[in-house]
Amino acid sequence: MTEASTAQGQPARATQWGSGAISHVLPFLVLLVIGLTLPLFAGGYWGVIATRACVYWALVSGLNLLVGFAGQLAIGWVALLTLGAYTTSVLAAGNVLPALDPYLALAIAAMVGAVLGLIIGLPALRLRTFYFAITTLGFATIVTQIALAWASVTGGGVGVPGPVFPPPFDSQWGFYYFCFAIAVVCTWMTMNVAASRFGRALTAIRDAEVAAEACGISKSRLLIAVFLFSGALAGIAGGLFASLQSYITPDAFTIELSVLFFIGVLIGGRGSILGPLLGTILLTVLPEFAAPLVAWSTFLYAVLLLVIVLAIPGGIAELLDFKSRRPLHSDRAIVPRPELLRRLLGEREDRGALTLEQVRLSFGGVRAIDGLDLTILPGQVHGLIGPNGSGKTTTLNVISGYYTPQQGVARLNEVVLTTLAHHARAEMRIARTFQTPRLVGEASVLENVMIGGTIDGQGSFAESLFSLPRHRRDEAKLRESAMLALQTVGLEPLAGVRTDRLQHSELRFIEIARALMLRPAFLLLDEPAAGLSAEEIRRLGALVVAIAQAGTGVLLVEHHADLIFDICHHVTVLNLGKMLAAGTPAEIRSHREVVNAYLGG
Amino acid sequence: MPTSAADPPHSVAEPPRLAAEPLLRISGLATGYGKIGVLHGIDLTIRAGEVVALLGPNGAGKTTLLRALSGLLPWSGGVQFDGRDLSGAGPREAAKAGLVHVVEGHRVFTQQTVFDNLLLAAYDLPRRERAARVEEALGYFPEIAEKRHERAVSLSGGQQQMLAVAQGLVRRPRLLMLDEPSAGLSPVLVDRVFVVVRRLRESGTAVLLVEQLIEKALALADRVYALARGSIVLEAATSEADLPHRLEQAYFAGRS
Amino acid sequence: MVESIVLSGVAIGCIYALIAIAYNVMFSASRVFSFTAGTLGMVGGILGSLFILRMGLPAWAGFLLALAGGALLGVVTEIVAVRPVLKSLGQHLYVLSTLALALIVQQFAAIEWGTDAQPFPRLLDIARGAFDQQYWLPMLACVVTIVALELLYRHTLVGHAFLAIAEDNYAARALGLPERGLRLASFALAGAIGALAGFAGGQLLLAFFANAPMLTFYGFVPVALGGMGNNRGAIVAGLILGLFQQTANFLVGGIFASVAVFTAFIIVLLAFPDGLAGASAQRRV
Repeated sequence: MTEASTAQGQPARATQWGSGAISHVLPFLVLLVIGLTLPLFAGGYWGVIATRACVYWALVSGLNLLVGFAGQLAIGWVALLTLGAYTTSVLAAGNVLPALDPYLALAIAAMVGAVLGLIIGLPALRLRTFYFAITTLGFATIVTQIALAWASVTGGGVGVPGPVFPPPFDSQWGFYYFCFAIAVVCTWMTMNVAASRFGRALTAIRDAEVAAEACGISKSRLLIAVFLFSGALAGIAGGLFASLQSYITPDAFTIELSVLFFIGVLIGGRGSILGPLLGTILLTVLPEFAAPLVAWSTFLYAVLLLVIVLAIPGGIAELLDFKSRRPLHSDRAIVPRPELLRRLLGEREDRGALTLEQVRLSFGGVRAIDGLDLTILPGQVHGLIGPNGSGKTTTLNVISGYYTPQQGVARLNEVVLTTLAHHARAEMRIARTFQTPRLVGEASVLENVMIGGTIDGQGSFAESLFSLPRHRRDEAKLRESAMLALQTVGLEPLAGVRTDRLQHSELRFIEIARALMLRPAFLLLDEPAAGLSAEEIRRLGALVVAIAQAGTGVLLVEHHADLIFDICHHVTVLNLGKMLAAGTPAEIRSHREVVNAYLGG
Repeated sequence: MPTSAADPPHSVAEPPRLAAEPLLRISGLATGYGKIGVLHGIDLTIRAGEVVALLGPNGAGKTTLLRALSGLLPWSGGVQFDGRDLSGAGPREAAKAGLVHVVEGHRVFTQQTVFDNLLLAAYDLPRRERAARVEEALGYFPEIAEKRHERAVSLSGGQQQMLAVAQGLVRRPRLLMLDEPSAGLSPVLVDRVFVVVRRLRESGTAVLLVEQLIEKALALADRVYALARGSIVLEAATSEADLPHRLEQAYFAGRS
Repeated sequence: MVESIVLSGVAIGCIYALIAIAYNVMFSASRVFSFTAGTLGMVGGILGSLFILRMGLPAWAGFLLALAGGALLGVVTEIVAVRPVLKSLGQHLYVLSTLALALIVQQFAAIEWGTDAQPFPRLLDIARGAFDQQYWLPMLACVVTIVALELLYRHTLVGHAFLAIAEDNYAARALGLPERGLRLASFALAGAIGALAGFAGGQLLLAFFANAPMLTFYGFVPVALGGMGNNRGAIVAGLILGLFQQTANFLVGGIFASVAVFTAFIIVLLAFPDGLAGASAQRRV
């Protein structure tokens, strides 16, 4: 328990981060150089293709955050391209108002795109995945139909001319560089988001929503920000698209185009910026290589989508993820270092006890919890045991806010918990782990642990877009804390490893590290010993004891009698939703009724 | 006809018919859910016509073992049933071979009638035999026989449990696996179910009974296995002395 | 005027209701919504026109072949786009796989059949009247389907098995029901029902590849409003949708009618995310 975990043959950390950073940025630099020097080796025709790729990428980069990171299947996002295109064209042409400067028209298109992006996106907060996907399709159709019908403004089926940007952007290559610059900025901004706590929070919402809530992440606030941002990007892309086409009609904005963007994100792979970027370039360029295939292009895209979904759901990003193919050491031990807890958790004030008072909770006709009183004191390990169906996990879920009791309250000191929103527990420094580890499989171990500290960041989403100093300070601090948390639980050598490659026991300890990031006043552990070996359970026990000694109140829901009797100061036994007995482990152990109920009799 | 619930404790059951080869032989069975290993190398045998109780604390893996045997979960190791290797067999094949699993929680199809619930259990039987088998199964539980055309949602929890067991009996199993049939039932209804188990033993059907009620299970069974932390920690005949105490010891692995 | 609105509203509502039933049957069997439901309608119309008009087969033969084509597409959907993604329902891959398959079929139709609407044959040699076959054929198809499904679910063992799988998949498996075969059969059935919608509605909708996205959307509205898996709710909602759409068409004209329908749909759906009948309707057929 006291040996430091050795980096078993792993390269020294500094080099690992250094080489990782370079290989991460290199592809983008290559593309940047190619893009800047394009006119030197490509003809005008390819210039147009490249411009189109940049315009598409402006939209797809935002859609990527929505679909690839947040998991919101906005299939009908082309509606915003339509809107942006018409807004820019109409304002620049002066059909309705006096003609505006095209840059101003573009900026307005961005704002309009943001607002409509929000409108299209909001149902996602309330509807199931498939329902949301269908509503976005409906939006796309409606917007196109409005463009067709509102002839006085949009020119109806005849269309309107696209905006023309003033020199030097009125020439073909000039306009190319304009679009290229915007594409570069979009790439930079979305990379910033991806590497920020917002990007990680998005993947948490996608893959482990309940855990994200427990970490204090507010799904609605975050999604609203992303819908606004992605909508703005799509609006800008629309304006550029209109300029590129020189003339737009409603039938340029088809569902097929929308699906194309979507496929671009998916070919690229979730949670990646480079993948969808390459995917977009690929999809833009592909039709040019086979003229007879143009008629079949959507057919082929659909086949490609099907193949990817079935065979390589991870897309290009997965294919390029060479790091994740390097074998891991097979005999890895988890060796926690509880002595680091003081540094990790810091000095905390005593926040008083966590209490449940006469809580009653029923599901349908079934009384899951039937008048329960419970008090968890800081600095103590409080065990909660009982037969299956006795209400142990349900009790934990009431404290963590997942269920609201019909009667009774949960209180932390004076504050009533049961009326707070789901994600408010984290601010009260109540952290938890889950019966089945809920982590983002595709993210690294370190990223998963950093998710636990999301609410401690001070920079806003906008600041992260531009990688402003306060945001960068947040990130550095978060990274440092997360590494310390990993050292505490003994998983530091695995920090850069993709989480879904690890064993179950390691996942459990990652969850604990994530929970410790909140510097919790109270830690709720839901059957943490399940699936661990005897030695791992011993180390877990020692770690939990140390956490309590550092001042945290621990609620331990468990089946493993040994662990309970070893480390708990106080044990409550539940049966059929009510307290059967409470006392020290020794008292419980010899309590006849408890033995019977717990073992069955 | 329900018999009296006042059976003598530790009744000396007739010795199980000594067959040459056990009906069910499990060797080194291991399984789990995703990455979580739950069972680590289980060895267990059941002879024809035996009632075997499987006891253990929660989370030990009792339900997991039943799921593996009936093919609801993939597993590794060896399972021989009635001379056949059960590798790769799902619940349908297992039932055809005579191994029937009545799952935990009396999960019957509430929107369908009692009769239709039993008819579904007879899905794989020839059409002309179905009605007869259903009646045969209902014969064990007159309480629900009279409700045969009512929807299962109108039955009480205990009656639903009886229906679930009846579903298992439609297939005339060689080995019937019951997962906590007493859960949530009043003592009277528990005894009703256990009376049926006795009848089954008399007619030569083996029963693997996962139970929480230690005393009642020990009274009913011929042999008992205790499962804790994914391994068998005790195997004994129910006629042996001091069993409840030995069980407790086994659960807590030698702690005082 | 009112009668023609009511007639066309009910007729088209029946078509939407049948597509909704196709969605529901697939959902009940697999807990998954498939984008191919609207495509099935398109296939029914196109195959009907292909077999009867182009190839000169008698109406009943074209009918059976169209239904068979739908059933085949249903089976292909299950094998290719649903079964492989059932183990990872959390990632919602089924949305993408069924979307891809639907697009593949739609694009194939657009290229091989053409992007213009082709005529659909008159099926019965009866004179044209106010209450013409183009209106009552969809209604008849809807009624027959409802009755047939009712008979299937209530009076056949296979139908009971479908209900069992829909209600409690785990218990059905443990009981030894052939879950995979039943799911495949459900998708074949849904395919036939979807194709029936397109065939019976062929004289109204014509044989048109663009029917696919239109039916995908309008066929889903009754599912969303009537409750997932709730066929009775789907029928009622489908009829209401048809009438509402035709009324709006008459009052404000085509495009604004679409906007009106869509806006009403979104508002109602946001207010009742589980449908108007509520979540408790889930297990009803």
